Amino acid sequence: MSFKCPACKKEWPTSLQVARHIFGTGDKAHRAWVESQGYSYIELLLAQTTEPGNKSYAILSELVEKAQATL
Amino acid sequence: MSTNKYKVINTRVHNIDGIAKVTGRATYTFDVKLPGMLYGKILRSPHPHAKILKIDTSKALELPGVKAVVTGKDTLGIKQGIWRRYEELCDEQILPLEKVRYIGEPVAAVAAVTEEIAEKALDLIDVEYEVLPAVFEPLDAIKKDAPVIHEGVERNINVTRHIEWGDVDDAFAEAEKDGYIREDWFKCGGQHHACMETRAAVSSYTPDGKLTVWTSTQSPYYHQALLAGVLGLREGDVRVIAPYVGGGFGGKFELDAAQFCSAVLSMKLCKPVKIVFTREEDMIASKRRTPMYYYVRTAVKKDGTFLARESRMFSNGGAYTGMGATALYLSGFFHSFPYKWRGYRYDGYRVYTNTMPSTSMRGFGAPQAVFCSEQQIEWICKDLGLDPFEVRRKNAHTEGYEVPGQAFIQSCGMKECIDKIEQWVKSKGKLPANRAIGVSSCGFMSGGIFNWFDTPYSFSSAVVTINYDGTVELHVGCQDIGQGSNTTMAIICAETLGVRVEDVKVHSGDTDHCPADLGAWGSRQTLMAGNAVKMAAEDAKRQLLEFAYAEMGMNIVYDLDIKDRWVHIVARPERGMPYFDLVKKALRGKDGQRIIGRGYYTPHRKGMISPAYSYMMQAVDAEVDPETGKITIHEIMTAHDCGQPINPLGLVGQLEGAASMALGYGYLEDMPFEDGKLMNPNLVDYKIIRATEMPETGMIEIDTYEPEGPYGAKEAGEGLTNPTAAALGNALFHALGIQMKELPITPERVLKALREKDEAKKQKKNT
Amino acid sequence: MEKYLLKLTVNGQEYEVYINPKTLLVEVIRDYLGFTGTKRGCETVSCGACTVTVNGKSVKSCSILAMQVDGMEIVTSEGLEKNGKLSPIQKAFLDHGAFQCGFCTSGMLMSATAFLDELNGRIPKKHEIKEAIEGNLCRCTGYNSIVRAIEAVAQGEYKEERQ
Repeated sequence: MSFKCPACKKEWPTSLQVARHIFGTGDKAHRAWVESQGYSYIELLLAQTTEPGNKSYAILSELVEKAQATL
Repeated sequence: MSTNKYKVINTRVHNIDGIAKVTGRATYTFDVKLPGMLYGKILRSPHPHAKILKIDTSKALELPGVKAVVTGKDTLGIKQGIWRRYEELCDEQILPLEKVRYIGEPVAAVAAVTEEIAEKALDLIDVEYEVLPAVFEPLDAIKKDAPVIHEGVERNINVTRHIEWGDVDDAFAEAEKDGYIREDWFKCGGQHHACMETRAAVSSYTPDGKLTVWTSTQSPYYHQALLAGVLGLREGDVRVIAPYVGGGFGGKFELDAAQFCSAVLSMKLCKPVKIVFTREEDMIASKRRTPMYYYVRTAVKKDGTFLARESRMFSNGGAYTGMGATALYLSGFFHSFPYKWRGYRYDGYRVYTNTMPSTSMRGFGAPQAVFCSEQQIEWICKDLGLDPFEVRRKNAHTEGYEVPGQAFIQSCGMKECIDKIEQWVKSKGKLPANRAIGVSSCGFMSGGIFNWFDTPYSFSSAVVTINYDGTVELHVGCQDIGQGSNTTMAIICAETLGVRVEDVKVHSGDTDHCPADLGAWGSRQTLMAGNAVKMAAEDAKRQLLEFAYAEMGMNIVYDLDIKDRWVHIVARPERGMPYFDLVKKALRGKDGQRIIGRGYYTPHRKGMISPAYSYMMQAVDAEVDPETGKITIHEIMTAHDCGQPINPLGLVGQLEGAASMALGYGYLEDMPFEDGKLMNPNLVDYKIIRATEMPETGMIEIDTYEPEGPYGAKEAGEGLTNPTAAALGNALFHALGIQMKELPITPERVLKALREKDEAKKQKKNT
Repeated sequence: MEKYLLKLTVNGQEYEVYINPKTLLVEVIRDYLGFTGTKRGCETVSCGACTVTVNGKSVKSCSILAMQVDGMEIVTSEGLEKNGKLSPIQKAFLDHGAFQCGFCTSGMLMSATAFLDELNGRIPKKHEIKEAIEGNLCRCTGYNSIVRAIEAVAQGEYKEERQ
């Protein structure tokens, strides 16, 4: 099983790893993809920086999984 | 302890400003009085965010004794900032024209014959505001619907910084397979410089178009250039004089309202105007240490080898940029320090809010970064059952290491620091209940390489002039703010030239007579100004020795040097002549002209941060009362690598002083705001550590030689502020098993952590 | 408001000044008599930078009206030396580097002087020394060098100089 990053197509074994990668890279392309999914990159970033629980990664992870079908 | 090979360096010389300071002779800006001097007072905004609609100064002007009232309309309206190279970061009109952005921001200034009258006049100034919605926390300020603090700045994001090396995702992937990953969230508070001398300036503009400003400053040159810029004057027509300075700690090298308003008033009246901030003004309307939210995710191998770290940080920038861009970068860099990471990624975001601006303060973002890093490392060690000293040693920087794309590490005593502290901690044996020792490693820069001020001058310069009687005039631009730079430069000059400290007179603190120097911040002066002084003294000595070579006429294979006022053949030191005799001959030889030596230093190709780094490990022995949450610090021991110590009395002073300030940051000093208003702007409620609370502090000096520094020296001013909060947190972790993720560590937070720990235990029992 | 004729001895010299009755002692010392060694660092009687001695006792001069010390003997940091010869505590401060920016130093010296004089030759415990300067804030030194300096004098290290 492997998951592709919707923005740059890099592959990872889990959707969570893709999510972390999207977040960590934070460049225009990756941010744009997040926004295109109806989420604010900045709001997710804020939540990740200030709240324990990794909710942001979970949200992104789900989006990544959904996106696999169209990649 | 090796025997000292130097005559002056690393000897216990008295501070050369000591007599002035212990006899009440030292005058500060606070004391300056000029004939016909007027007193200025500043009217400040009561609102955190508001448009200035109208300012009516007519009634104030009518008050007998009031000579002038100025507002933004009386200025050139220039948006200034200390990051001159980047226009978008020059965002501050000290007397704003359109709106105010924090409670306490200046809106008008009055000059009157007495302070009392000036103060009365403030009440007579009518300001019509249109109050705007305000936002106080970076997390709120960044939301889509948050009020816009600076027009054109989207989401109030002031600056962003990104530091990355290696393949971070790869390293995390490896750790996910068979390593260990830990994630934590931290909140670090602000802190106030709280110098004993508040911000102060006396400006005197004279009919010849020249401005002289006496001010409490860390950098006369910066203030000369900044004032010239905002007032439309030539730098050469502005003279900045720093009388003795009552502390700086990072808060006094940017343009402040005392300097600006007194200058504007003086230029209007052609009379001297003095503005001294009250303690309350100083606390609400200057700039503070940057509060930071940190997210830290770290991956390690099961044996404790560090793999990667990914961190994100949001900082509360307050209303203006100040030195915030530097703090943003340095925090992210020193968050990786002093360890080797296969992969590292840091994203820092600085957000505007309607609160007092944040800026540099001793440690420059590193105390916050280290608080997070060093505690998490301790928790990882606990999680994996590893020895915290062993893990730190295993991953520590070593001599010759290159932090990829960031820094070249030359001298590095990190391993020795760890060894010494490990020995010390073990020697303490078992401590009583509720008491433990926590450790923290860190390091710091010795001055920065980046020319954000956009100066055309060398970063440091020095001139050595030798008088007929052998006394030496040393002109430097570096600024003594209490750390003893005058003494340090005298020591370096005396050692290099071969004379005694008492033969050297240091001239500093006057832009009319001293060369430009970036000033006292970023722990740069010992290395940068020290190198300039060494070069100048070497130049002077070389010129002087030309006459000795001629005089002594020895075989070409021999060379001369001067030590302790004795000019001699190095291989045959008994053969020589007194320095004083040589000076007289040299003067005659040069047609009555004094020998003048010049020196300067600007770092070239030294990486992204600094030419050299200090290293240290600190241990804090702390006890907690589990009933009240009150902390008692018993002892602090630091193993410290600052290369070659130059001024040993000064070094101990820096260690002890830094510890007192860092302890304050760790558990005493808090800056609570409510709706943008600082709730404790006085020295009763803002708790600075007192003599009765200060623990014993010891230092183990680690001997290294830094090739970049004068005689192998590097910094000892700020690095020592970095480890203490983390070491204290680690002490609490070992004493009570609590993880402190918020600074300062107040009794309330300790008790809360204990409660949460008990609840977690209960829940575990029930499952 | 009617002015008041204040008479005091400062650093061994008698002075007469006309003052507003509301005038604080620190204002007389600094602004009327020009002894600027004594400083001010707060408005809440918290920092101790204004400490002087009044008839030998250490007092925060911002906390009392000048009128309250009419006829008394005030000593400030400028009054510690005798014809250019430094007092033991000043020498100890130099030897131990017990100052940095120097803004709190005058106040520290006066708190130390009052404490040392009260000892009458008794050797104090370290915590007593710390309590003696508890009212003096220092942002630079971390206090330990100041305590060492006071301790050295208290232990008689500058005995010859006392005479």
